[in-house]
Amino acid sequence: MTALVLIVVVLPLLGGLAVVARASSWLTGAAMVAGGAGAFAGAVVLAVRVTRSGAFHAWSGFIYVDSLSAFFAVVVSLVVVLASLGSAAYVSVEQERGNFSQFQVRLYFVSFSVFASAMLAVFLTGNLGLLWILIEASTLASVVLVGLEARTRSLEAAWKYVIISSFGVTIALVATLFLFYSASALHLGPDQRLTWAYLFAHGHSLAPASMRLAFLLAVVGYGTKVGLVPMHTWLPDAHSEAPSPVSAMLSAGLLNTGMYAIIRYRAIASAVLGTAYPSRVLLLFGFLSVFIGVMFLVLGGNFKRLFAYSSVEHMGVISVALGFGGVLGVYGALLQVLTHAIGKAVLFLSSGHVVLGYRTRESAKVRGMLGSLPLAGAVLLLASLAVAGSPPFGVFLSELTIVRAGFAGSAVVGPVLAGLLVLLLVIGFISLLATTVGMVSGEGPPAGSVVAYPKLSGRVLAAVPLVGGLAVLGVLGLWVPAGLNELIMHSVRVVL
Amino acid sequence: MAGLPLAAAVAASVEKLSATSLAGTLVTLSSVLMLLAAFACLGSKLFSRYVVYYAFQSVVLAFACGVVAFHFHSADLWALAFITLAVKGIAIPLATGGLLLERLELRRDVALSTGLSTSLIIGALLTGFAFLVIPLQDLPHGVVATSAVALSTALVLLGGLCMVVRRHIVAQLIGWLITENGVFLGAIALVATFPFIVEAGIFLDLVAAVLIMIVFVSGITRRLAEATASELRELRG
Repeated sequence: MTALVLIVVVLPLLGGLAVVARASSWLTGAAMVAGGAGAFAGAVVLAVRVTRSGAFHAWSGFIYVDSLSAFFAVVVSLVVVLASLGSAAYVSVEQERGNFSQFQVRLYFVSFSVFASAMLAVFLTGNLGLLWILIEASTLASVVLVGLEARTRSLEAAWKYVIISSFGVTIALVATLFLFYSASALHLGPDQRLTWAYLFAHGHSLAPASMRLAFLLAVVGYGTKVGLVPMHTWLPDAHSEAPSPVSAMLSAGLLNTGMYAIIRYRAIASAVLGTAYPSRVLLLFGFLSVFIGVMFLVLGGNFKRLFAYSSVEHMGVISVALGFGGVLGVYGALLQVLTHAIGKAVLFLSSGHVVLGYRTRESAKVRGMLGSLPLAGAVLLLASLAVAGSPPFGVFLSELTIVRAGFAGSAVVGPVLAGLLVLLLVIGFISLLATTVGMVSGEGPPAGSVVAYPKLSGRVLAAVPLVGGLAVLGVLGLWVPAGLNELIMHSVRVVL
Repeated sequence: MAGLPLAAAVAASVEKLSATSLAGTLVTLSSVLMLLAAFACLGSKLFSRYVVYYAFQSVVLAFACGVVAFHFHSADLWALAFITLAVKGIAIPLATGGLLLERLELRRDVALSTGLSTSLIIGALLTGFAFLVIPLQDLPHGVVATSAVALSTALVLLGGLCMVVRRHIVAQLIGWLITENGVFLGAIALVATFPFIVEAGIFLDLVAAVLIMIVFVSGITRRLAEATASELRELRG
C-alpha cells in the first residue's frame, strides 16, 4: 500500500522528467497523460482497497489514506488526466504560433507536473503540518503557470495570486499552530499532535478555546485557496489569465485541496465543539460566496472570469452543504466536489478552444460557435448547462441532495436557507446560460477564419477530454455507480 | 485511533518558557523591539527605511529564536534561527534594496491611502485589540513568555495594516514579510516544539523570493515601478 501511495504521488512527475530528459514536446505531453492516467488508476485501486479494508497508514501517520482521501485523490487525478490531454494539445498550438518559447513550454510541463503531484500528495498525508506545506508547495508550482504568458496582465494576476493566497496560507499556518497547541494536554509526540486520526479520535480532550480559533483561522486561511468570499479576489484574475488547461487544474483541482483541508478541520472541530459552531461559520462563508459568485455571473463580460465566479459559487454551495451537515449534507458536498470538478474542467478546456480560435476572452466578441467550432461550441453549451445544475447532469443531482439536506435541517432555519440557496442557484443558472447561449448561437465569423487546432492530431487530442468528461458527467446524473456510492458513504462516515 | 501505534508519551511540558526566566525576559524584550520596528515601518515614507526596519526586525527575530533554541536545546530552532538571520536578516533586505529599490529608483512612497499619523493611530488600536483578544490569563500558567503571544498577534495585524494602507507593491511585500515575522514569533513563543517550523520557514522564504522575482525579473518592472497596486486596474470585477 505504501508503494501504491507513492506511485500515485510520483507518477504525475513523469512529464517533468521527460522535460529534464529533453524529450520532444509531443513525447512530453504523452508522458504527462500517461503519468496522469497511471495516477488515476492508482487512486482507484487505493479507493477500492480502503473501502474494503479500512484506513491505511504508514510512516507514523505521514502517509494516511482513508475513504475521504481516496475519494479526493480519484477526483483530482481524473482532473489531472483531462487537463494533461488538454495541455498537450494547447501547448503545442501555442508553440507553433510562436506564443510560447521552448523555455516556456519546458517550464509549463515541469510546473504542471509538480503542481499535480503536490495536489495529490495533499490528500494522502495524515499529518496536518505536512498538509500545510504541500498546499503551499502547490501554490508555488501553480504561480509559475499563472504568470507563464508573461504579459502585463498575467504577471499582475500572478502577483495577486501569490500575495493573497500566501497571506491566506500564513493564516492557515497560525491555524495549524493553534491546533497543535490545543492538543497540549495529550500525551503525544510532536508529530502525533498534528496527525489527523489522533486528533479526531481524542477530540474530547482538546482545548476548546484554541480549537475554536484554529477552526476559524483554518476556514479563513484555507478558504483563501478555496476562493470563499471575501478571500476570493485572486481567483477570477488567476483563472482568466492562466492558460485554459491550467485554469481547469486550478478550478477543479486546487480549490478542492483547500476544501479538503477545511473538511478535515471541520471534523475535528465538530468532535471538540459540537456541530453548531462549525456549521454557522461554514454557512456564513458559504452563502456569502454563493451570493457574490452569482452577482458577478449576472454581470457577464470576460467568459473565463465568469467561469471563475461560477467556481466561487460552487465552492460556496459545497460550504453550505457542509454547514447543513448530517449524512445528507456531507454526501451532497462530496458529490458536488466530484461533479463540479469534472464539469468545470470540461468547461475551462472548451474555453481554451475559444481563446485559441477567436483570440479573445470577451464573451461579447464570441458569436456563432456552433458554426465555427461545432464540437467546442456544443460542449461549451452542454458543460455550462451541466455546471449550472441542469438535469440530466451530475451537478443537478448533487445540488438536489444539498437542498434536501437543508430541508431536513432544523425546523425553520433549514428550509429558509435551502429556499434561499435554490433562488440564488436559479439566478446563477439563468445568467451563466445567457452568456454561453449568446456565445454559441448567432451569426458567426466567416467559415475558416476561426481555427483552434490546425492539425488533425491536435484536434483529436483536444476533443478527447471534452467528450470523455461530458460523458462521465452525463452518466453521474442518471446513475451513481454502486462502488462510487459506497466510497462516498464511507467518506461521509469518516468525518461524522 | 485504533491501529496507529501509540508512541511513548512525550511530555507536553517541554515547551514551558516561564515569563520570569532570563530566556522569557529576552523573548519578551525581542517582541517589543519587533513591534517597534513594525511601527517604525508604518511611520515612514522612504522605501529604504522600510527595508532597514524590516532587516532589524528579522535580526531580532533570529535572536529570539536563538534564545528559545538555547533554552530547549532544539536543533530545529537553531536551524530556524540561522535561516532567519541569513535569509530574512540579510538576503531579502539586500535583494529588495539592490534589485528593487536601486534598479527601479524607488525612493519615496507616495501611494498611501491614509496619512502617517492616522495609520500609526490605527496601528496602536490594533495593538490594543491584540492584547484584548488574547486572554493572557487563560494561557496555561507560566507556559509561555505570555506577552510575546499578544505581541506577535499585534505584529500580524500591523503587517496586514501595512498591506492595506500602502498601495505600492513593494510596501505590500514588506507588509506581508512583517506578518510572517509575527507568525514565527508566535510560533516560537507558544509552541516551540512545533515539528514543521523549519520547513514552514523555508517555504515562506521561497514565497518571498517568488514575490521579489515577479516584481523584478518580469519585463514589466518599469511599469510596476511607476504604477501602484491601486493603478493595477486591468483586472477588476
